[in-house]
Amino acid sequence: MGSVAAVTALLETRALSKRFGGVEAVGSVDLRIERGEIRALIGPNGAGKTTLVSMICGRIAPTSGRILFKNREITRTKAYHRVAFGIVYTFQISSIFKHLTAFENVALAVQRRVGGLDRDVLAREVGEALAHTGLAGARDRPAGSLPHGHQKLLELSMAMALHPQLLVLDEPTQGLAREEIGAVSRLIQSVAGAATILLIEHNMQVVLDLSRRISVMDRGRIIAEGTPAEIEANREVQRVYLGP
Amino acid sequence: MTLEGRLVLALLEGTVTGCILALTALGLSMVFGVMRIVNVAHGEFFMLGAVSAWYVTSTTSSFGLALIAAPVFVAAVAVLVNWVILRPIRYEPQATIVATIGLLYIIQQVVLSIYGPYARTVAPPFYFRIDFPWFGYSGYKLAVAGLAAALLWAIWRVVSTTTLGLYMRATQQDQEMAQAFGVPVHRIFAVAFALGAALAGLAGALIIPIQPAHYLMGLDALLASFTVVIVGGLGSLGGTLAAAFLIGLSDGIVSVFFSPTLARIVSTALVALVLVVRSGGLFGTESA
Amino acid sequence: MRRDHRSAILGVHWALILALVGLQVVVPPFHHTLLARIMVLAAYAIGYNLLLGYTGLMSLGHAMFFAAGMYGAGLPLFYLGVGAPQAFLLGIAASLLLSVVIGTLTLRTSGVSFLIVTMMFAQVFYLSTLYFNRITLGDQGFVLAGHLPPISLGALRVTLSDPVMRYNLALATFAVCLGISLWLVQSPIGRVLVAIRENEDRTQMLGYNTFAYKLLALTISAAIAGFSGSVYAVITSYVGASFAAILYSIYPLVWTLLGGSGTVLGPFVGTAVMTYTIETASRFTSSYLIVVGVILVALVMRFPAGIVGAFRRRWAPWLP
Repeated sequence: MGSVAAVTALLETRALSKRFGGVEAVGSVDLRIERGEIRALIGPNGAGKTTLVSMICGRIAPTSGRILFKNREITRTKAYHRVAFGIVYTFQISSIFKHLTAFENVALAVQRRVGGLDRDVLAREVGEALAHTGLAGARDRPAGSLPHGHQKLLELSMAMALHPQLLVLDEPTQGLAREEIGAVSRLIQSVAGAATILLIEHNMQVVLDLSRRISVMDRGRIIAEGTPAEIEANREVQRVYLGP
Repeated sequence: MTLEGRLVLALLEGTVTGCILALTALGLSMVFGVMRIVNVAHGEFFMLGAVSAWYVTSTTSSFGLALIAAPVFVAAVAVLVNWVILRPIRYEPQATIVATIGLLYIIQQVVLSIYGPYARTVAPPFYFRIDFPWFGYSGYKLAVAGLAAALLWAIWRVVSTTTLGLYMRATQQDQEMAQAFGVPVHRIFAVAFALGAALAGLAGALIIPIQPAHYLMGLDALLASFTVVIVGGLGSLGGTLAAAFLIGLSDGIVSVFFSPTLARIVSTALVALVLVVRSGGLFGTESA
Repeated sequence: MRRDHRSAILGVHWALILALVGLQVVVPPFHHTLLARIMVLAAYAIGYNLLLGYTGLMSLGHAMFFAAGMYGAGLPLFYLGVGAPQAFLLGIAASLLLSVVIGTLTLRTSGVSFLIVTMMFAQVFYLSTLYFNRITLGDQGFVLAGHLPPISLGALRVTLSDPVMRYNLALATFAVCLGISLWLVQSPIGRVLVAIRENEDRTQMLGYNTFAYKLLALTISAAIAGFSGSVYAVITSYVGASFAAILYSIYPLVWTLLGGSGTVLGPFVGTAVMTYTIETASRFTSSYLIVVGVILVALVMRFPAGIVGAFRRRWAPWLP
């Protein structure tokens, strides 16, 4: 269906829905993310944000609708396969290998990309990834013994080590102290050149700092989309967040 | 014997088997459901009930006494096991499995050393034949079916109407919530475990006039119970009953018409496939 | 830092092999058979440990793979008069094939369900060996003596009924399996298996097809079990249905846990200790299997790391 590359969105969902029993968690969402964007996805708790991105990443199967990545249908593609396409997800509640060292954690990500047979290449890449996120000192410590903020950085480091094209971050600053939020924010900005970013966030400051476009969800649907300024001025959004 | 005769025999045998199986499997389901653990030694409680019933009957000549003493004894063993082994390991799923496998061998081998490798039966407490056109059927077997049915009804009443039953259902539904509401969860665990064991023990005791007590009889009982719980669905009383009868009957039919070994092969394979297909597994939650 | 440990690791494992080679000279002949059996069963345990200790999957059905190897080698030896090397290959092939089928079916489940399904399929296998007893001779089994033609290795003729050859066949089997295990757990594949054990969800989201990896682990584990089963048949000269029964699924579990799951040397240590303990116990009582029960309970309650596991934790964290 050859469209011109510049016009094709990186990721597109068409009428994507998810029902759990009688409950509609996500209802007919049309989301379009352009290459190079940093898109924030915001909304009150229970709006369906995590469900939506879980479908994009392949962790949950949609009830109906389609997902396209670089104009290629990935609706039924398995989650691990999407990583090969370049869609990488970080968990809301950090899901690292607590009993493995920071090195081993990142090594698993690097190995996926470059293979594990050349130990020297692996060691070098992992070293670089850890240094980039400021975790070089934690290299041989069990990931579970790291403070919460460092665990989040480690998770981010692993995701980045996969050289994603679309990086999906689910509340990357949750539970972090102010300085740590700054570190994460700077890290995300550093990847923004190489990767497109879809970011679920509750921290409005981070959202405003990082993103150029914001999509607002409420009760399973996207109710507004636009630049930070437009969203701030949007009445519907104000109602959803501040009450009628 | 004619075809109708064989069929009726198969149905009768199947019903009796189904009743015994229902009692045993109910015990396992209760423990699964309330405590969320797999007791691999459950079959040994069945065996223990059979063996202890044999002892009581041969020493006191009272089968009735055995029917009371055996489940009480087995329940006491269960209480001990829960206290000494399961509580300290905090009912952790994988650890519990390994521990109960160990328990299986401990119980089995202790019985072997005391009771010996023999298969011993007792005389049924009463003799009467019910005459069918094709064969005479043991009245005792039918009495067992009746007693089992009465017991199952009684359990159902306890679970659905008493406070204990309420606590058990609450713990099964949501352990944390139940605890928050003041349900003494650990005591409920002890009761459920003891009750589950007692049911198996009673089933074992009931069976010895029909089938001899042997120290290795627990494994078949365990597999059969797993089968029923998997097919019937976890924690569902009705499901367990329906599955027990279904399996008992089909086992009965295949055994009478073909061979018992083949019956086992087919039923085990089918149930394993059920569990595979229902890939949410026993505790089934939706997965991608 | 890694380099140092690599020589230490190789050193330790070679030391074990060499010790076993030397042991046959030092130890009286009565112990040779026992040691040979231990080495082959330890190979079985090594295979089991790849699945349990490294991939985190507890199976209660491995006896079917062990027995598939046993029958896969034994039946052709008995009925068709094939040579031993071919018999081993057939044994491995049988267990490999079985494991692909079983794995495809069962690996959709995990945890308790996986445990129960593997147990049930193994029971089906066991009952089938009894059902088809016209071929398998069921529980009674059949003896292979007289069906083991000598192997020609160039100018050398090796008779398998010779105790020295049996010991060294067992040793070779063990050494091969130990080597495979050591290589695998330190390889990139091994790293992924450990990751699956630690957090399968995360491993998938890093882009790994965890089902494929689990199937790989299962098939390697089963192939090793089958290999050890076929060798066991040859060195004990006997094939019987009892090796397909649940006890032979529980044995590798005990051996692995006792020795230390997730360690390469653990399975050998566990098998050796357990087998000697049971041998001794069986001289005093016919209820010797109680040892299995007591050890399992004790392991769970007090000693979950096992012998090598505990040793590693205190003194040698670099040991694979």
